[in-house]
Amino acid sequence: MTRPDPPGSAPPSRRAVLLTVGGLAAAGGGFAAGSQVAGAASSGADSLDALRTPTPGEDLMAEHGLLIRILLIYRHLLAAQASGQPVAAGHAHDSALIIHDYIEAFHEELEEAYVFQRLMQAGRLKPTVSTLLVQHARGRELTQLILAESGGTGSLPTAVVSRVASAMAGFVRMYEPHEAREDTVVYPAFRALLTPAEIADLGDRFAQLQTQQFGRDGFAAMVGRVGAIEQALGIYDLAQFTPPNITPSVA
Amino acid sequence: MGTTMGRLVSRGLLAATALAAVACSLAGCGNSSTRAGQPVAAAGSPVTIRARSLPGLGTVLVNNSGYTLYMFAPDARRRVTCTDLCAATWPPVKVSAGDRLVAGPGVRADLLGSDSDPAGGRVVTYNGWPLYTYRSDIQPGWDNGQGINLNGGYWYVMQPSGQPLTKRPGG
Repeated sequence: MTRPDPPGSAPPSRRAVLLTVGGLAAAGGGFAAGSQVAGAASSGADSLDALRTPTPGEDLMAEHGLLIRILLIYRHLLAAQASGQPVAAGHAHDSALIIHDYIEAFHEELEEAYVFQRLMQAGRLKPTVSTLLVQHARGRELTQLILAESGGTGSLPTAVVSRVASAMAGFVRMYEPHEAREDTVVYPAFRALLTPAEIADLGDRFAQLQTQQFGRDGFAAMVGRVGAIEQALGIYDLAQFTPPNITPSVA
Repeated sequence: MGTTMGRLVSRGLLAATALAAVACSLAGCGNSSTRAGQPVAAAGSPVTIRARSLPGLGTVLVNNSGYTLYMFAPDARRRVTCTDLCAATWPPVKVSAGDRLVAGPGVRADLLGSDSDPAGGRVVTYNGWPLYTYRSDIQPGWDNGQGINLNGGYWYVMQPSGQPLTKRPGG
C-alpha cells in the first residue's frame, strides 16, 4: 500500500497543475480544450501563451473537483451520523466554510457572471440555467444552516445533528447532479459560444479574480484545507477507495 | 487582435464589458438589457420602485418588474460595496443620468436617492441603502436572497418604511 502524500505538503497551485495538464494534453493532442486553444493561436509567443493559459472550463472543473471532495466529506459525516457515531462539529463547520467562501462566493459567482449570463444572452439552456441559479440559492441556504448549527466545539449536539445531517444530505443530493450537468452540458455549451481569443481572455480574468480574492495560491490553500479535513477523518488515502481484485484466481 | 498588444487591449475590454453587462443584465438594472426576454426601461425613462406583498415576509420593495430588492449590511447606508463578482450575483439597481426615480404606491419618495457605483454610474438607494436584485430570484416575487450571508455580509429585503426586514421567510 502506498503512503499518501501528506495533506499539508503544499499542493501545487491550480494554475501550475493546469499548465502541466494543458502542456501534456497539447503534446499528446488528446485534451480537447487545450488542443483547441493551441490550435487557435497563431504562432510563436502567442501560441505558447494561449497553450499555457488555463481555459475557463478547466478552472471551473478544477473547482468542481474541490467541491466533490467536500461532498465526500459530507457523505462520510452522514455515514457516521447514520451509524450513531458522534459527528465532529469542527469538521462539518470547516467543510461548510470552504463551500461558503470559495464555492458559493467565488466559483458560483464566476458561473453567474460569465457562464450563465453568456448562455442566457445566447438563448441557450435557459431552463437549465434557471434551475442551476435556484440551486445556487438553495445550496447557500443549506450551507448557512450547517454553519450556524456547527459553530461549537466537540461533537454536534443531539438536538441539531439530524438537522445538520439533513442539510448535508440535501446538499450532496443536489450538487452531484448539479455539477455533473454543468461539466457535461453547460460548460461545453458555454465554450462553444466563445472565440479562442475569448477563451484565453477569460482564463486570464478568472485567474486575476481569484488572486484578488484569495491570493496567488488561493486554490492550493483550499485544496490543502480539504486535505487536512480528509486526513483527520481518515479518508485522505486514495488507495482505500480501490475495490478489491475480483478476478477469479486461476487454480 | 493577434498581437500581444491587441490581446492585452481586448482582455481589458472584455473584463470591463463582461462585468458591466452582467451588472446591468437584470430587469432592475438600468437601461437597455433584458432578463429572460423582458424589456427594461431605456435611458431617460422612469426608474420605478414599487411595494409588493410577499408570502411570509409582508410588504417589501420590488423593482418595476416585480423582482425583490435587497440591501447589503456592509453598505452601512454609506456606499456601494458590492462590486465585481458580487455585483454579478447581486446586480445593483442602476439609474442613468436623466432617468427619473419614481416612488410607486406605498413607497416613500423622500427616501429614494442614488449613490455612486465604484463600477460606474449610480445605484438607487432607499433610506440611504443601495438596492440590489438577486440573480437566483428567477421570477418576480421570489425572495431567495432573504437573510443570506454572502460576499461578506447579510442581505435583507427592504420595507417601505426604509428599514431592512431581518427575519427569514415565514419566520
